[in-house]
This record gives sequence, C-alpha cells and structure tokens, in this order.
Amino acid sequence: MIEVLLAPARVLVTKIGLDGHDRGSRIIAAYLRDAGMEVIYTNPWQAIDAVVALALEEDVDVIGISSLATDHLLVPKLMVALDAAGLGHVRVVVGGIVPDEDEADLLSAGVSKVFHPGAVREEIVSVVEQLAIAANNERPVD
Amino acid sequence: MSAVQDQAAEKSGLAVRLLAGQTAALARAISIVDRDGQAVSALLKAIEPHLGRAIVVGFTGPPGAGKSTLVNAFIAEMRGRGKTVAVAAVDPSSPITGGAVLGDRIRMAEHTMDPGVFIRSLASRGHLGGLSASAARVADLMDAAGFDVIVLETVGAGQSEVEMAEMADVRIVVSAPGLGDDVQAIKAGILEIADILVVNKSDLPLAKRTVGQLQAMLALRAPGDWKVPVLTTNAVDRTGLCDLADAVDRRAAARKMKGPRNALGGRTRRLLAQSVAKYAEHRVLNEANATIDAVVADLQQAEIGLDDAIEKILMQLCESQKNG
Amino acid sequence: MMNNIDKPTSPTGSDTQQAAFDAWQQNYDALIGEDAPVKNRSGIEVQPLYWPGSDPDGDYGDKLGFPGADPMTRGIYPTMHRGRTWSQRQLIGLGRPVDFNARIKKILASGASALSIIPCNSVYRGIDCDEVEPEILGTCGTIINTEEDMDICLADIPIDEISIGLNDPSPFTMLAQMLVVAEKRGIDWKKVTGTSNQSDYISHFVANHMFYRLSLQGARRVQLDTAAYLAEHVPNWNAFSIVGQHMQQAGATPAQAMGLTLSTAIQYAEDCKARGMDPEKFLERFTFFFDISISFFEEVAKFRAGRRIWNNLVTERFGVTNPRAKRFKFHAQTSGCDLTRQQPLNNIARVTVQAMAGILGGLQSMHTDGYDEVLSTPTEDSAKIAVSTQNILKHEAHLCDVIDPLGGSYYVESLTDAMEAEILDVIAQIDAEGGMFKAVESGFVQQLIGASALEFQDQVDSGEQIVVGVNAFAEDEDASARPTLKRPPKEHMEQQVERLKQNKAARDTDALTQALEGLRKAAQSEDTNIFAAEIDAVRAGATLGEIVKVLRDELGFGQPLVVA
Repeated sequence: MIEVLLAPARVLVTKIGLDGHDRGSRIIAAYLRDAGMEVIYTNPWQAIDAVVALALEEDVDVIGISSLATDHLLVPKLMVALDAAGLGHVRVVVGGIVPDEDEADLLSAGVSKVFHPGAVREEIVSVVEQLAIAANNERPVD
Repeated sequence: MSAVQDQAAEKSGLAVRLLAGQTAALARAISIVDRDGQAVSALLKAIEPHLGRAIVVGFTGPPGAGKSTLVNAFIAEMRGRGKTVAVAAVDPSSPITGGAVLGDRIRMAEHTMDPGVFIRSLASRGHLGGLSASAARVADLMDAAGFDVIVLETVGAGQSEVEMAEMADVRIVVSAPGLGDDVQAIKAGILEIADILVVNKSDLPLAKRTVGQLQAMLALRAPGDWKVPVLTTNAVDRTGLCDLADAVDRRAAARKMKGPRNALGGRTRRLLAQSVAKYAEHRVLNEANATIDAVVADLQQAEIGLDDAIEKILMQLCESQKNG
Repeated sequence: MMNNIDKPTSPTGSDTQQAAFDAWQQNYDALIGEDAPVKNRSGIEVQPLYWPGSDPDGDYGDKLGFPGADPMTRGIYPTMHRGRTWSQRQLIGLGRPVDFNARIKKILASGASALSIIPCNSVYRGIDCDEVEPEILGTCGTIINTEEDMDICLADIPIDEISIGLNDPSPFTMLAQMLVVAEKRGIDWKKVTGTSNQSDYISHFVANHMFYRLSLQGARRVQLDTAAYLAEHVPNWNAFSIVGQHMQQAGATPAQAMGLTLSTAIQYAEDCKARGMDPEKFLERFTFFFDISISFFEEVAKFRAGRRIWNNLVTERFGVTNPRAKRFKFHAQTSGCDLTRQQPLNNIARVTVQAMAGILGGLQSMHTDGYDEVLSTPTEDSAKIAVSTQNILKHEAHLCDVIDPLGGSYYVESLTDAMEAEILDVIAQIDAEGGMFKAVESGFVQQLIGASALEFQDQVDSGEQIVVGVNAFAEDEDASARPTLKRPPKEHMEQQVERLKQNKAARDTDALTQALEGLRKAAQSEDTNIFAAEIDAVRAGATLGEIVKVLRDELGFGQPLVVA
C-alpha cells in the first residue's frame, strides 16, 4: 500500500445532466491545481458514457462531479457504468446543491463524498488527495 | 503504483493488450511512462518491433491562434478519410505547485465517443521543451496501439518548441492574425523547423497580411527540398482543412521516421543534459554542504572566477555522491 | 483598480466645519484602536465617515439632477415608486404546464402584477422532454416544448393585460409559441407586452452556459432578426434584456458586472445600428437585468451609477435625444449566491436586505428569492414569504414614499461616484479589446470574472468575509429539519412525455416539413428573417427541439469558450 503518490494525482472535473453553471467547478479546479494535482477540465453536459470514456482515456484517479439542481440524480447511473468499464477503483465525489436525503442515496451508490456549499479548500484538497491514493492502491494490477 | 505492481506490468499482458489496441491498456501504459516507473524499459522493448506505422504531426504556435480548435477540425478531417487518430495535448504545469489544469480537450469534445480517436491530456511536469518528458514515449505507445495519425499539441510559442521538431514527421506552426505582434509571436527558431505554416481564423481582415508576412520570412530561409506552404484555415467552419490534410500527407510521405522516437540521439542527449542540470541545481541550492558554501563565499568575494567555481562544485558533487 | 475616496484637503463651506471634522478625525484615530481599511466587493475603499467635505466641488445639477431628466441618477421617471411601484415579477416554473398555470393563478391572486416564466433545464438545452433522462425532467422549471404547452401554461391569463417575462434564450421559441397562442386567441400583437429576459447571448456565452444553444455568430444573427421582426410586429415587446446577473453570479464584482453589462449593451446597440435600425427607437426597447447582492450600499450606488452612465453613454455614443431611449430600465433579482444552506431561515433576512437595496436603487421590476433557494426550487411557502417581503417593504416600511431617499447621503453620493469610475474603467478595458463581442471571443472577459470569483472565494475561505452560519456562528444542524426538495411526480413527467409524442403524431407532416425547410433556408440565407420563419414553424406544430436542431445544424452548436 502506498502512502504517497509518485506522480501528481489526476482528477477529472466535469458536469453531467442539464445544468451549465460552472463557477464552482472552476474554483475546485484551481484548488486542486494549487495543491499540485492535474485536473482534466471539461465542458458541461457530459453524457454518462462520455464521462466513462474520459476517465478511461485519461486514467484518472478521482472524478469530481459538480451539480446544481437535480443533475446529481444521474450519478448512481455513472457509478454503475464505471464499474462495468473496469473503473471501479476510480473514486467519485460530488459537489454542489445536494439535498440531505439524496446524499444518503449517493453514498450508498458508491460516491465517496458529497461536498455542500461552504466546504473549505483544505478539506476538499485533503479528501481528494486521500481518495487519489486509495484509487491508486486499488487500481487493478495489469 | 507500487514497485510490485510495476514488475507485474512488465511480465503481464499490458504490452500485449496495448498492441491489440485496447484503450484501457494504452491509457495505463501512458501513465506508467509518464511517471517513469521501473516498468518502462520492458514495456518499450515489447512494443519496439511494432513501431513506425503512424505519422506524427506536431501542432505548435502562440496562445490565441486557435490550435486546439484547429486540431479538433484536423481530427474530423482525418476521420473523414478513414484514419484513426491519437492526440497528446500538453499543457503547462505550475512551476510553483506542480499542478495543472488540462483544458485542451474541451475543444475536442465532439470526438470523445469516437472509438477511432484517443485523446490524452498531459502536463509538462517541469519539462521545458514544450512537451512533456514522456512525450516521445507516449507517441511510441500510440504508434504501437495502431493509430494511423498521432497529433502532438504543444504548450505555446517560444524557441523551446523546437523540441517538437525532433519528434514529429510533420511540423505545423499555427498563427492567427492580430495576435498583438502578428508574426513576431512566431520566433525565428520555430519558423526554421516548420513544415507547414497555417494562418487560422482566415475570416479575419488581417489574415492576408499575415500570410504575406510569413511568406516574406520564408523567403529568407535557406532553401531545402521541401517548399513550405502557407495555408489559411478557419477551424470553426472547417475551411482549408482539406488542403492542410493533403499537405500533411505529402510531407509525411517524404519524411516519415521509422523506429522509436524516444531513442533519437539529439533528444535523449538534451533530456540527459537537462536532468543533470536539474540535479546539480537542486543540490547546490538545497544541500547543507560546507564545501559548497565555501565556494559560494569565495565567488562572492571574487577570490575565484566563475569557471573555477563551477569545476570545484562539480568535483564536490561527485565526491560527496560517491561517499554519501 | 482601487478608487480611494480621499479625505478633503481644501476647506469647505466654513473653516469651522473643517476644524470640526479634523477634531472628529483626531478623536476617531485616538479611540478606534486597530482600524484596518475596509474594501467593498468592487475593491473600493470605504471610509468611516462622509460629510459635505467629501465632495466639496460636487454639483447637484451635473451629478444628480432630478428624476426623469439628465443625468437620471435619481431615477428614470419623475414619479418613480411613489407613482408606480416596481412590478413584482416572481420566477415561476415547475413540472407540467397545467401545474404551472395553477401556480401562476395563485401568485397573481396574491398580488404579483407580472409574470416571469422559467422553463425546465431541458428547454434551456434545446431538447424536447422525450429525449431527456426522466430523473431530471421538470425539476427546475416547466416543460414547454410546443405551442400547446404554452397555451396551457397561460390558460385564462390575459396575455394582452399582463406583462410577461420570458426566460427564453436564442432562438426565442417560447416567444414564438406565445405569439402564436395570442394569435389564435384573437389578441392583437400590438397589445402584447413583456420582455425577452434572456436575449443576451453574450452573457450566456460568458457566464451562464446553461442558456447557450447556438454558436456566438448564430446567436447574433437570430437576435438581430428577432429584434427587427418585433420592432415591426410586436412594438411593445422589449426585445433586449441585457443581463448583468449571470456575470455577477459567476463571480464578477458589482462594478465589473455593471461595466460588462453596459459594454454588452453598447455592442448590441452598435449591431442594431449597423443593421439599419434607429437608435432613437430601438434603445427604448433595451432593458437590463441585474443581480442584487447583499452588499447593501454598494448595490444602491451601482444602480445609481448605472443610470447616470447609461444616460450619458447613449447621448455621447449614439446621439440620442429621445428621453425614453435614455431610460435605464431594469429588473433585478436578489442574489442566490449570498444565500446559505446552513440555517436557511437566515436567508429571509438576507433577501430582505437585498430587496431593500434594489428598491432604494430604483429598480422597475423585482424577483425575490425563496429562503430555500439553495436547497431546491422554492416551495410554495417560501415563495409566499418572498412576495410578502416585497409587500412589507412597500406598505409597512414605506420605502416607496420618497424618490431616491438615499440621494444626498454623503456616503451614497461618494460611493456612486466611485462606482461610476470603476464601471467606466471596465468599459474602457472592453473598448480597448475591440468591444464586447471580441472580448468574449478571446476569453478576456471570462478570465476577468474568473479572477474575481477566486478572489472572493479566498476571502470567504480565509474568514475575511464572514458568512453567518458557514464560516462563523455555525451550529450543528438537524438535517431532517431542512425543507425537502420538491420534485414533480414521476407519473406527471411520464404523462408530459406521452402527451408530446401524441402531439407530434397528430401533426400534418407535410406542412411541418415545409415549415422546417423554410426555417433551414432562412438560416442559410442572409435576407430572410429567421424569427419570422420560426413563427411559421410553430404554427405548423414544430417543437422546441426540432427548431433548435435545424438552427444548430445551420448556424452552429453553442460550445461556450470554457476558460480553464
């Protein structure tokens, strides 16, 4: 088990569903970059299949989904698709407006963490770093 | 990835799966070479016999020229001609934090679901050549995975873009009208290595003038066996892409390299020189070493000259390395 | 750029007044202890005290004047809110058209005088409901795909008597649908009033990608075609609503948001003029839409400065003399960005302060957020409180009795001047980039806004900017006590999708194909009005998705410039 990554963590920051507000995801991207991570940043409205394809090609450790409105309701579908594509080791976090009852559903679907408005930089960075390490440890041996 | 996992990759079917064209294998292999782990040499050996099929096309040019949008259009044109395309898009890492925001593929979103297109975002990770230290190896992996065309998209403008010259079969320099200093943005060094010059955003009124300026600069270049065309494109409505693709084909036919790009003499030498310099820099700046301190003091007092100081430092680094 | 409001150096009025000020200053300095400089969101430093000496040379006539006359600082109408209060224009949208219609009727009955229709996110993306993942349908707005949907939304609503705001980006399908509905009801289009609330495609490209459907050039073409069509056929409709809200919510400071919005307005005005339209006429149909943050005095100053700048700008740049064309009419919405998820009832207080700033800033139309904005689309209860808030401010706090009541305040006048300087600086920067269109094409504006967003976030992260309940005064909260998200029942959405399918099947396919062909040809040629062709398409039963698809094919898909 490694404790420290040998190369910068690679994090996909993206949005699924219909919403297009990206102030939050841009700030997160800046946080992660400033913490030494590599952020693959995409445009909004990615289909589930596209997120899987991106995660595969970019060999990411963590996926950060930014969600306003109800787009987070699609995340369980993403979790299933990631598993099916052999990307079960990739950690997923969701940030944005997520009602409490939905948070429980997301966590049981396999989402590692839900960040709400007001989450601070240190916490976000620290959580993502830990998740990247976990993802690397669980990456299937080729 | 741990050392154990690295060895496993060496022995396992990663290379086999990559050669069979499996996306996940290519993606994983790129991560491995990018991180420069122990598994690299075995992996590269395994793919070596399968290299030399792909054309490598490099795109460089100043920010604002619309490189990514042009690459996007170029991919579409290649796909239209039945070619598979792999892209390595490099963005700069922050020199302070080491992190990066890799956003080139935003402009190539239309190709995400196309199985005939593979796009990988790479961070320069401190490498100064315009690409990443791993870029040549990444290009080889993509070649071995069976892609017809490999696109290298570099960081921006500057003399450092010359690195692309050593790796690409076809070197394309992209500019756009009205970028402040117009062609000043394209330094002489890049102009020397360009196989094709593209003036993007051809709909802008100053496009003709930019073309003229580039042609004038080309006239000053020593003539070779290849006449560098100056093409105009509009990456948004796809004008000029057909001509660009044709020019790429013609140039590649004349120049295609065979064999591994990472073994190219000049590039390896430069990489080595940079690595040695970095090593020395790190030690001189950070190490607690009385001998080094003394040399610094002497140099400050002008007791010794710079050349002598350098020699003394190098000797010290070797000695303490041996003893340490 | 910081604007320092300097302490006056020249004696004003009487020397005794100056001496008294100096004495106060001395006492202040001695007693205050640690006194760090205070800057507002726009970066302007704010002094502890303002007095006549803060602006010794100020001229009432030059800077303020009287309401309804140059330079409009105090208000665009002579009577302002005392004569006619602002329109209560609450955003409404939920689920099926029939649900929406029920909600409208309730809101109108409770005192709202105008409507603002907000459709489902899928409509914003230009997709019909039968092509959307069912989980996310209808949760943020009403599904309006066809003329029939619009007809149901507005059942029993007198279109010719109520002002309707349509949150309807290019290519304005909702407007086309509404006009066809009006036509079928025998209503004269000349009687239809309202605003195309999201006709500002530049603001979408920059700061609210959700509304962005066609390429930048394509949206420009559609906007101008539509404006020209409306000027002729629906002359009382405001074709232009230039939106500062998106940019401020994306992180622009209030001064930047105002500056960028005015620059956009200049761009559109120039485009219209190049098209051969008369500024004296089309500027009358320019309206604005702003965010109101909780930085109370800053927002009041922002709006007053905006009024003054616009008045001067249209006179200088477009030679306008028609007073109606100089009016800075604006709708404003209290900012959801200031509201918190933690201790949500606090948001009622926040919205009240924001609303006050808007009222005292002289707006013409307002939407107040529900306190649960950060948790879901507003529940009926929270929407009621939002409207009541406006009524309390109007009737109990008597905020409408006096026009521009903060006018003459030493601070507010000083701050209005300082905001004006910041705003003009932003406009100058955009001018230097070649105008707003070029400035957004190159990413200049996006970078500006991104930098401000990051700066504000840093201030919150560091605790420099306190947010009650979030980074200070926080409490452990019982999550189950929070209001739950209201979503339309699954069966309702299924019904809506079914209804659309039936609707599509029942159409005259020949007429439809012909109409869509006409739309395609209009987009391909330069001389045929796209909006006119769109109305024909709606008459033939074309859906939102079908219309948007044709226009995307011909004019380009809107892929906003995302600056990483």
